[in-house]
Amino acid sequence: MKHPHSCSQSLIRAAAFVAIAVAANVGIITTVRADDAKPSAKQPEPAKKKLTGAELYAVNCNRCHPERYPTEFNSGQWQTLMTHMRVRANLPAKQAKEILKYLKEEAGN
Amino acid sequence: MKMNLQTRILGSAAACCVLGLAVPQRSSAVVSDEDFNALKNLVQQLQQGRQQDQQQIQQLQQQLGETQSLATNAVEKADAVAAAQSAPVRNALHNFTMVGDAEVQYGKTFGNGTHNGFQLADFAPIFLLRANDSVLFEAGFDITLQNGLASYSATTPNGNTFGYSHDSGSSTSVSMSFGQLDYIINDYIMLCAGDVLLPLGTYSERGAGWLNKIPDSPLGREFLPGSGIGAMLRGAAPVGESGQSVSYSVFAVNGPSSVDGSANSVTMDGLPNLDLGGNVGVLNSGSTGNLHSSPSFGGRVAWFFPWAAHQDLELGVSGQTGVWDDSGDHYYSAAVLDAALHLGPNFELKGEYINSWFGTTDAGTVRPWAVWAQAGYKLAAFNLDLPLINNVELMGRFDSENDGLGTSIDRYTAGYVYYISNTLLFEGDYEFIHSTGPNAQPPNMLMLQISYGF
Repeated sequence: MKHPHSCSQSLIRAAAFVAIAVAANVGIITTVRADDAKPSAKQPEPAKKKLTGAELYAVNCNRCHPERYPTEFNSGQWQTLMTHMRVRANLPAKQAKEILKYLKEEAGN
Repeated sequence: MKMNLQTRILGSAAACCVLGLAVPQRSSAVVSDEDFNALKNLVQQLQQGRQQDQQQIQQLQQQLGETQSLATNAVEKADAVAAAQSAPVRNALHNFTMVGDAEVQYGKTFGNGTHNGFQLADFAPIFLLRANDSVLFEAGFDITLQNGLASYSATTPNGNTFGYSHDSGSSTSVSMSFGQLDYIINDYIMLCAGDVLLPLGTYSERGAGWLNKIPDSPLGREFLPGSGIGAMLRGAAPVGESGQSVSYSVFAVNGPSSVDGSANSVTMDGLPNLDLGGNVGVLNSGSTGNLHSSPSFGGRVAWFFPWAAHQDLELGVSGQTGVWDDSGDHYYSAAVLDAALHLGPNFELKGEYINSWFGTTDAGTVRPWAVWAQAGYKLAAFNLDLPLINNVELMGRFDSENDGLGTSIDRYTAGYVYYISNTLLFEGDYEFIHSTGPNAQPPNMLMLQISYGF
């Protein structure tokens, strides 16, 4: 395998890597969905709604790590952890509060 | 009492009836004045008695109302006491929590004559102390083991020197990766001060062992400072109600410095002169001060766009600039583009493009750059009834760098993650390395790692 000589060549190889990864993902999804295909017509997309704390938790936290179970920490620990994660992941205050509310409701003892 | 009143009222009524029967008789019969007056007195006495009864009834009703009011107040007070006693316990104002990660590695480097072996035990706790809802102090440490060094040298009378130098024993290194005070000023501004993790790209803030999924870091991160002594303002604002957001960070830190104080590209012993992490503001003599005349400035702006759970795109641009040599004549600058893409819960793609440059007196402007892209695919997507397969995520990475001083590396990595639990990962990868230059790396490497996030 020839060693790239310039930044542009490396960027091209990185872009090729990205393209292959996305194409493979799309191909797998298509295959799996074809296996699971149902005869029903395409479902209408649900109307956009305000996300709940649980949904925001899934959206934001899974970006960087597998989701922690809410029962892994108690309410006070979640308060501390969400302050930490709000700063670390630079989360909007409104979303962080919704996520914290959900985690406190489901927290362990 | 109530029965007596009713009896008297009925008695009065009966007397009236008697009078009613008696009065017509007076019109038709002769009634003496004595009888009339006697009846008149009787009626008057009955009327007085009735008035007294009514007054007594009013007094009793008033007493009853007061009694009911007292009873109501007592019930309310009892309810308030019960509510207070059943209210949840308030959280303590001071709350200490420890999170972090730990790793052990096993590896084999091919082509440099070394044996395979366990090569790393890393314990990286993050201590979190929350003073209240707006103030948090957090500090992260890396505690690692490495071999110690045993050496001996002597000179014979004829001037020959002999001796040995060999790894022996072990030593433990403890380093603080960051330590910062976070103050949430309002919904849109947070202040971080201390040894602050710098948001140059996303890896420095999201690169812990159990987050990275590949045992070692991508190339190019050594061209950027991981943290800096200074202060940072950051915040984010939601866009709509669908989870979308924009975020910003701006910081001022002491910035990088020069190992020997000069602006030469390398030191006298040939090592890179640019020191990205050593300018902490406390000098070796104990006095304080920046190693050069002015701090560095930088920041990051990012946009996060989720269109469904586990389907999102994040784009960010960040950079830093400031002088790095003691005389303050030369600048170190860096710019980073970062992106992360999730297409469903099973596919992740992320990467960074890193470009940096710094002026030197002997080699002009040195331009280190790097690019890396990393993809992961969880086999759970196939919905197989095989737990061993469903817990596997296949990993791939391409990264490339050039340090601007003659060494370039091109690396292709294939690996896997086996999720023993959501925070306990067994990772492995094989790296195909193509490298040239004075700091070239060995050709290939095998790495296994158990990583635990807590």
